[in-house]
Amino acid sequence: MRNFPLLLLLLATPALADLEWETREQTFHAKASEKQVVAKYRFTNSGAQPVKIENVKTSCGCTTAGLKKTEYSPGESGEIEARFDFGGRTGKQEKGIAVSIAGEPLPTILRLVVDIEEPLKMQPQFVIWKIGDKPKAQIIRLTVADDVPAKVLSVESDNPMIKAELTPSENGKSYEVQITPSDTVRPASATLIIRTDYPADNPEVRYAYARIR
Amino acid sequence: MSAVRQAALILVAAVIPALLTGAFHHNRPAWSEPVAPGEERLETILGWGSAVLWVDARSEKEYAEDHVPNAIRLSLEDWDILFPHFLDSWDQKKKVVVYCSSTSCQLSHEVAERLEQSGIPSVYVLHGGWEAWKTRK
Repeated sequence: MRNFPLLLLLLATPALADLEWETREQTFHAKASEKQVVAKYRFTNSGAQPVKIENVKTSCGCTTAGLKKTEYSPGESGEIEARFDFGGRTGKQEKGIAVSIAGEPLPTILRLVVDIEEPLKMQPQFVIWKIGDKPKAQIIRLTVADDVPAKVLSVESDNPMIKAELTPSENGKSYEVQITPSDTVRPASATLIIRTDYPADNPEVRYAYARIR
Repeated sequence: MSAVRQAALILVAAVIPALLTGAFHHNRPAWSEPVAPGEERLETILGWGSAVLWVDARSEKEYAEDHVPNAIRLSLEDWDILFPHFLDSWDQKKKVVVYCSSTSCQLSHEVAERLEQSGIPSVYVLHGGWEAWKTRK
């Protein structure tokens, strides 16, 4: 009877499920023209008991994850398919997928890392003048990513009162857009349409904005 | 000495150093949930008064159901459509506070980062998101 507490503790400890994962983390590099990635996380029940996957949750509404069935017999394999829709995201993205398994106190965390190419950076994305300011030119800088063979073809303003002029640098990897209002007497706005030649099948168009207010 | 008195003495002897440790020890536990970099608590933001432009990073459906008064919606998916509207509401004197559903969602941090990349200064994330807003008194 002296060992009763130890016995109780052993009985209270849930049997841990034996899911073996081929990999818990996957990394992708995506081109600017791609809209999503699909990652498959394969696993095998290497234990002697059936394993039940209770739910699969993702860390972002942009990522969905699903599996074909929830119970896996000993020796049986399966996979979780995670789909990440970029939806305007660029740069390094890390998404988590939490897999809750019956009898396990903590979920297993799968990681999906995607480095999404951003062919063109602009800084800033807007320029503003206050009414009555001197109509001095302001600059937006465009920088093409090092490993991307993109060119900025043109910048157009949709308001003839606010002019935009594109000047490439000598190395062709950066540009200056000089934006000049004809005056700042009244409120005005313009959208600047920046056209590139990359990717060739669906060239990227970016937008910047000018406001007088 | 009765057992009850002995227990009370032991309790008092334990509570005093525990209180001192909790108050002054350099590794004492935080009494409230930690705030991630770039986040601010609701009470701090409410103290900023009207100098705040609220940005709702949740879905269109959630925004339509309810949102912080005068908040404007902004999402990465519809950035080119929504950012010009943001720009028309924003002025340089305002602090921008972005929120999404709760502490666990990342959308507010993503939108805040994109705003900063676009050249907007003073961008913050509401700690606890919409859930925190709903619990305000």
